[in-house]
Amino acid sequence: MTLTQLVEDGSSTNILSIANMPVLWACALGVFAVIILQSVIYIRAARKAAPAAGITGAELKTSFRSGAVAAIGPSLAVVLVAIALLALFGAPAVLVRIGLIGSAAYETGAANIAATTMDATLGGATYTQQVFAVAFFAMSIGGAMWMVTTLIATPLLKRGEHKLAKVNPLIMTVVPAAALLAAFISIGLGEIPKSGAHLITLLTAGVVMGLCLFLAKRLNRGWLREWGLGFAIVVALFVAYAAHTAGLGPVA
Amino acid sequence: MTAQQSGRINFMTTLSPAQATADLAEFDRTTSRWGRLTMIAGLIISVAGPLYLVLFGNLGITSSQLWTAVAAVLGTFFIIWLVEPITYFPILGPAAMYQAFMIGNISNKLLPSVLVAQTSIGAKPGTERGNFAAVMAICGAAATHLLSLLVFVGILGTWLISVVPAGVTDVARFYVLPAVMGAVIVQAIISTKQLRPTLVAFAVVLVVQFALLPLVPGLAMVSTAISVIATVIIAWFARKEIQPAA
Repeated sequence: MTLTQLVEDGSSTNILSIANMPVLWACALGVFAVIILQSVIYIRAARKAAPAAGITGAELKTSFRSGAVAAIGPSLAVVLVAIALLALFGAPAVLVRIGLIGSAAYETGAANIAATTMDATLGGATYTQQVFAVAFFAMSIGGAMWMVTTLIATPLLKRGEHKLAKVNPLIMTVVPAAALLAAFISIGLGEIPKSGAHLITLLTAGVVMGLCLFLAKRLNRGWLREWGLGFAIVVALFVAYAAHTAGLGPVA
Repeated sequence: MTAQQSGRINFMTTLSPAQATADLAEFDRTTSRWGRLTMIAGLIISVAGPLYLVLFGNLGITSSQLWTAVAAVLGTFFIIWLVEPITYFPILGPAAMYQAFMIGNISNKLLPSVLVAQTSIGAKPGTERGNFAAVMAICGAAATHLLSLLVFVGILGTWLISVVPAGVTDVARFYVLPAVMGAVIVQAIISTKQLRPTLVAFAVVLVVQFALLPLVPGLAMVSTAISVIATVIIAWFARKEIQPAA
């Protein structure tokens, strides 16, 4: 591989050098700005119409404050997950995709599917700048689809909420559950053939998550449910590091 | 304004029904119009970054590579995109929909905030009071979330990744996908509480990954989409009908 190739054809694996481009930072902060603008518009509209909705100004403030306080735990839990993904996607992509619009599960899933179509492995030797750009694009389009369906569905639902309730309720429970389970089980089990260390990582994360959810229920500790994903990822990464150093990683 | 400042007075008595209806219609117009506009802006800006990288990053990406990747992602998640907005609408109300699907992390962060706010002022979901509480709670949650993301991920995280040894970040990069998926699978199984679809999904995935793929390696890029569609169809025919209440 010559130096010119490195610079020009996207085959370099130095992801963070392009993932932290100023343009990407500007777009990430742009999404932050849009959300702030939206919040300001909504708060002003809510204050104005509050009496008509039978809600007092004090109750609006209480709602804002309870929302803000209730979000502290979950937000920090998301932060932990986001930090674990920084090395993979860089800060701007993590902020927008995992922190905001999407979630860790869907976005890493989408990135993995996109990388697979290019015969590449996320984070591995084949994870080039080119693969990163395609994966980032595919997960952004994926996230945009949620917004597109929201933009289309909300006015429709507003008009005919009652009609939807008549649809067989099983369609709304069995179908999404099946789709969700199949997507994540497929992406997860696809990791197993890669190496023993991948298998151990997958199992560790699953066990830690299961333990967190079990304890959350047993001991009635809701915060364990929120932090489960973050804890599971961190513990699994420690185990992965040990397994990898022990030589259980893929044969180069 | 004076009514608001005076605090605990019951506004419903001071507001004529016609005026109340007009005010609510105005709120609905404002949030619908601006909710949509801001969401479209968010959509465009969020896609603009990667689009710039693909078009001007000089990475030699072909359009067929790009659309194959997008098609594989669409094929996997399209059912979830269609269903999620419909699922959350009754709790969030129309105005908050445009907030929730842009701020993200709905089930793990926004819904708890909304429920706490609605409980603390005694408002029921689906009512006007409930919808207003939801809007304010999401604004509050967004404030907390944006701040913690900027400080802990944007600033602290970027610093952290520059000081952690390369060997450690390499391992994190390499194994973070199985780490996320192992946890997410368990979470999905426990939160959906659907035994049959779970078993069907495992069976279908095992067949696709370890029997179909070795036979037809070319299907690797659409294997997850195939598993999703096959699981949905089989799970639907293997469903347990709800027993009418005795």
